[in-house]
Amino acid sequence: MALGSDYEHGRADSYRVATVIATDDDNRTADGRYKSRRKMPAKAVNKKENLDDLKQELDIDFHKISPEELYQRFQTHPENGLSHAKAKENLERDGPNALTPPKQTPEWVKFCKNLFGGFAMLLWIGAILCFVAYSIQATTSEEPADDNLYLGIVLSAVVIVTGIFSYYQESKSSKIMESFKNMVPQFATVIREGEKLTLRAEDLVLGDVVEVKFGDRIPADIRIIEARTFKVDNSSLTGESEPQSRGAEFTHENPLETKNLAFFSTNAVEGTAKGVVISCGDHTVMGRIAGLASGLDTGETPIAKEIHHFIHLITGVAVFLGVTFFVIAFILGYHWLDAVIFLIGIIVANVPEGLLATVTVCLTLTAKRMASKNCLVKNLEAVETLGSTSTICSDKTGTLTQNRMTVAHMWFDNQIIEADTTEDQSGVQYDRTSPGFKALSRIATLCNRAEFKGGQDGVPILKKEVSGDASEAALLKCMELALGDVMNIRKRNKKIAEVPFNSTNKYQVSIHEVEDANDPRFLLVMKGAPERILERCSTIFINGKEKVLDEEMKEAFNNAYMELGGLGERVLGFCDFMLPSDKYPTGFKFNTDDINFPIDNLRFVGLMSMIDPPRAAVPDAVAKCRSAGIKVIMVTGDHPITAKAIAKSVGIISEGNETIEDIAQRLNIPISEVNPREAKAAVVHGAELRDVSSDQLDEILRYHTEIVFARTSPQQKLIIVEGCQRMGAIVAVTGDGVNDSPALKKADIGVAMGIAGSDVSKQAADMILLDDNFASIVTGVEEGRLIFDNLKKSIAYTLTSNIPEISPFLAFILCDIPLPLGTVTILCIDLGTDMVPAISLAYEHAEADIMKRPPRDPFNDKLVNSRLISMAYGQIGMIQAAAGFFVYFVIMAENGFLPMKLFGIRKMWDSKAVNDLTDSYGQEWTYRDRKTLEYTCHTAFFISIVVVQWADLIICKTRRNSIFHQGMRNWALNFGLVFETVLAAFLSYCPGMDKGLRMYPLKLVWWFPAIPFMLAIFVYDETRRFYLRRNPGGWLEQETYY
Amino acid sequence: MSKNNGNAEKYVSEFPQPAKKKTFSEILYDPNEGTFLGRTPKSWGQLITFYTIFYIVLTIMFTICMQVMLSTINEHHPKWKLDESLIGTNPGMGLRPLSEQTERGSVIRFNKNKPKEAAYWTELLDDFLKDYNHTEGRQMKHCDPSQVHNPDDVCVVDIAKFGPCSSANSYGYRTGTPCVFLKLNKIFDWVPEVYDTVDGSTPAELRDVLTSTKVEERKQIWVTCNGHYGKDKEQFNNITYYPSQGFPAYYYPYQNQPGYLSPVVAVQIVSPPDHEMLEVECRAWAKNIIYSGSLLDRRGSVTFQLIVD
Repeated sequence: MALGSDYEHGRADSYRVATVIATDDDNRTADGRYKSRRKMPAKAVNKKENLDDLKQELDIDFHKISPEELYQRFQTHPENGLSHAKAKENLERDGPNALTPPKQTPEWVKFCKNLFGGFAMLLWIGAILCFVAYSIQATTSEEPADDNLYLGIVLSAVVIVTGIFSYYQESKSSKIMESFKNMVPQFATVIREGEKLTLRAEDLVLGDVVEVKFGDRIPADIRIIEARTFKVDNSSLTGESEPQSRGAEFTHENPLETKNLAFFSTNAVEGTAKGVVISCGDHTVMGRIAGLASGLDTGETPIAKEIHHFIHLITGVAVFLGVTFFVIAFILGYHWLDAVIFLIGIIVANVPEGLLATVTVCLTLTAKRMASKNCLVKNLEAVETLGSTSTICSDKTGTLTQNRMTVAHMWFDNQIIEADTTEDQSGVQYDRTSPGFKALSRIATLCNRAEFKGGQDGVPILKKEVSGDASEAALLKCMELALGDVMNIRKRNKKIAEVPFNSTNKYQVSIHEVEDANDPRFLLVMKGAPERILERCSTIFINGKEKVLDEEMKEAFNNAYMELGGLGERVLGFCDFMLPSDKYPTGFKFNTDDINFPIDNLRFVGLMSMIDPPRAAVPDAVAKCRSAGIKVIMVTGDHPITAKAIAKSVGIISEGNETIEDIAQRLNIPISEVNPREAKAAVVHGAELRDVSSDQLDEILRYHTEIVFARTSPQQKLIIVEGCQRMGAIVAVTGDGVNDSPALKKADIGVAMGIAGSDVSKQAADMILLDDNFASIVTGVEEGRLIFDNLKKSIAYTLTSNIPEISPFLAFILCDIPLPLGTVTILCIDLGTDMVPAISLAYEHAEADIMKRPPRDPFNDKLVNSRLISMAYGQIGMIQAAAGFFVYFVIMAENGFLPMKLFGIRKMWDSKAVNDLTDSYGQEWTYRDRKTLEYTCHTAFFISIVVVQWADLIICKTRRNSIFHQGMRNWALNFGLVFETVLAAFLSYCPGMDKGLRMYPLKLVWWFPAIPFMLAIFVYDETRRFYLRRNPGGWLEQETYY
Repeated sequence: MSKNNGNAEKYVSEFPQPAKKKTFSEILYDPNEGTFLGRTPKSWGQLITFYTIFYIVLTIMFTICMQVMLSTINEHHPKWKLDESLIGTNPGMGLRPLSEQTERGSVIRFNKNKPKEAAYWTELLDDFLKDYNHTEGRQMKHCDPSQVHNPDDVCVVDIAKFGPCSSANSYGYRTGTPCVFLKLNKIFDWVPEVYDTVDGSTPAELRDVLTSTKVEERKQIWVTCNGHYGKDKEQFNNITYYPSQGFPAYYYPYQNQPGYLSPVVAVQIVSPPDHEMLEVECRAWAKNIIYSGSLLDRRGSVTFQLIVD
């Protein structure tokens, strides 16, 4: 629908196109599934109805009616403005002139999500079972054991504390965003009751008469009633990058095209204007688009999918084991209350209570690290999305390039000179003494209205802000670099008269006094479109001599012009003329309206060409993306030639790859005869894109590995994004304009620009590049991939200790032995000793160059896969459980209960009435003493898990490499090792722990039984990884490489 | 568009695509790939072999560790004793009869007119006293407080001295005057420090029994039983201890001597209240027995509940 219609509207109907695309959005992903599990079709329909309001055609007539009618309608006056009373009334009626922020999920809903999401539900069930068991015990027995009450309280506390923690983390990261939003308060100059007032932009109302000048942001949608050389930059709204002039006259039916409207949040770049506010806040064009973008549903991030997958897996295992053993306990003839208590134990042992908090912390750490590298992540989960990205649709201007026109080449003395375009002036230098350059530089200096803005003394020349047109600014900077103080030179060559550039003449002329006081002549300098300049010249200045401009010279000029134009550069021609002093003596009155001086038969001097050069780090970054298997697509509003030139220079189109057009040119055949399969690269024009069906777009995206979309409107980006997503790619999109916001929302990760980006685009994006630099995205990709790997390691580490936690319960039920590990000790592991080491794995550096492998396959390369479970549960976990049981048997045996004695003893052991349980040596144990023994065993089991987790942590550092290769340089991890040991020792030896947590001090020797198993884990896994490296792709890798 | 002139060759997408959803029967058995539950028989075989070997090796390792540990452990005396062991130095008390159904706790309830109910408890007691009845083949010695005691000696516990608390008398259960047998927990190497003099430090509860006992027989770990709470105390009267109100010290220390039997004190509650619960607490007295009557931290004592219907 958006394609192939209304081409004559140009890009200005962007708003409509943007909205129409949304109509096609059926809330389904590329493969036809609903994007979000939460959102069912019925709900989507409701949403659509709400959006319908926004999708109404922009149907206003404010630009068509006469000014008088306009004043009438708003009861305002062009000179005096609104009355204060009327303004107040309007403000009360319409509300403040600000965009309603996108509907936030209420804080309590967010909080509840954290409190009941993930594993929390399972733990709540455990806690409720505890309370139920306790209340039944309390009603049936006179002296109920408070164990269950205690455990219930602990479990509830755990859920609440971890819930609060995650909520805190989340709200902290969203606070960053808020601070970002309200950085600059906007003010507007308003006329009310004939008085000029400066008000906050929010306080503007319909009918207000406002004044805007260059540099301001338009405070609302206004109808212009007076203007002086007023120009606005509508790029954020329409994608049109050239400033457009605005005036009082009605020129077009389309409100976006007509000259007498200026829109909210666009920038005034030149001149001043006065206008009447015609719409405010959400009713502005910008507001409607913002509302539309926030209505688009974005679905789950890849990492959220992974975490859900993992939670389902673990919950499944927990429920399965729990129910199985519940039934087994019944079959074995346990009392149902006992069976419930077993169920609680199994749930607690199965749920890695600390893991989600660990994941949150790991993501936060990465988010912080990325923020320090200029990637501000709005949503924690988006941290990883860049890592799985397989396609990046990047803007050109400002992202790939410096967003600064810079002189790239000059042509004088019949040769092309390359200027330095690097950001730090490290490029080639050229001869600045030749007469040709001197003449050229004099024109470029004098025939130039651009000036540096004040107060920028310390700023490097290239970074200084300039008032004036981009090309002139480029010339100014180039000259400032080449000659020094340009303003001084201009002062010495006083400007006498000037004809500014206009679109009919396509040139600019100025007349100056000459620096040399003895020379009474005036100097005429002119610059403009090269062919127009050449037409006006009869001679050419070559190697210090003035020559007749013959055909040969014209040929040379044409070649140079073609060559520079072919590089995608904007070329300007320069010529000058010394006015003879006899005809134009000192004091001659030059008339610029009715020209009374020669503007023909001038002396041609040379050409200068400008380009917005690529940022220094970009070619490297693009190469990195390529080696990382990420397709980089350039989407720009610029001209195809410029786009292609930049694409080539940054490597988006790599050397040696040809487009269809290139092949046709090389083989000298028509384009239609070229087999499109042969061309790896493609430059697609926006106009072409309007005519293609989605199938054809798919083909373009499929058959060309290197694609540049030129002359595209920001909303065509949305089509491109959808195309990429249809093919299964995970797409990152950069954008800065308001109209980019649907594409940013639609993309798997929208990246807004921190400097050039509009607020709406920042709101729609998941991430903000603070320096607008494409290279920062690559850092993001790197960090995203690293955190995915490290999360795997962290989860593998945490899950491993689940087996030594569950197995005691199973043995307790099946073998009737005294419980080897209690629920409280399990919590001490999950929420105590395992936390810091698991988090420290987030600091682990990559094993190999993660930017040299393809992006992960979102369908098969899961965060938690069967191999990880097999390793953690089936192998390492089992060794750990063996260590725990060994310690348990050692302590029991050394105190008198030899292993065989323990089997079947459970009932007597746990009975309070049995005050004289006999051990293997005939000693009789009171209930109290044997419970002390049992809790000591729990403590020892706990300590032994800590000991084997040392080895587990070290083996989890690497998935393939040897630890001897990886080294122990991760100091956070080394600290983690020390921390868990100190914490374990503290829990065991601190006085009072026997009362609080039922942890008892251990004899030193009871730390040692776990050591052989610790070594076994280390040796086993080193060996496993050795074979893994020796036989890449072998059986061991298929079954154990997670 | 010019770029579209038919594509004959099949294009393999450069981006990963989701795997085809399998039906439930395909998950169980997929004839196309020959997989059962997602794996071919060969793959299952390899996996099972791997895990079998893995667990065999792990079991061997565990067994070796256990063997090494057990080799450091003596058969006759525990590795850690008294304070070094978690059993400590504070013996608790045991009581019989004790129901084998642990959930019944330490409640002794019967109807004296129903022989079957009384028999439940007498059988338990018969069982408990079996060892004391059949002392054949045990190297035992009739100890006497006046004799010098050799730690290796095993002293006889003479069940003939239990008076009315004999099996023949069905331990008093038929007559509603039940006997409860108390014993002190065995702790390896533990030696009591008995109260054998009446002086200022003697607990008040022991003054009567000490003064009524001959001086040479005073080396005993004394036992006292009383009602647990106020009401129980009121109803608690008329009890007798057999053979004496304590465990003679010559039974100690326990060192896992072959044939060793714990001394036993039979307590007969001659007039228990009818149809009412009598909660009794018995405690052992020695200078090195710490007493704590708290519910959760009971030391040096034992409680039971008696209900005679």
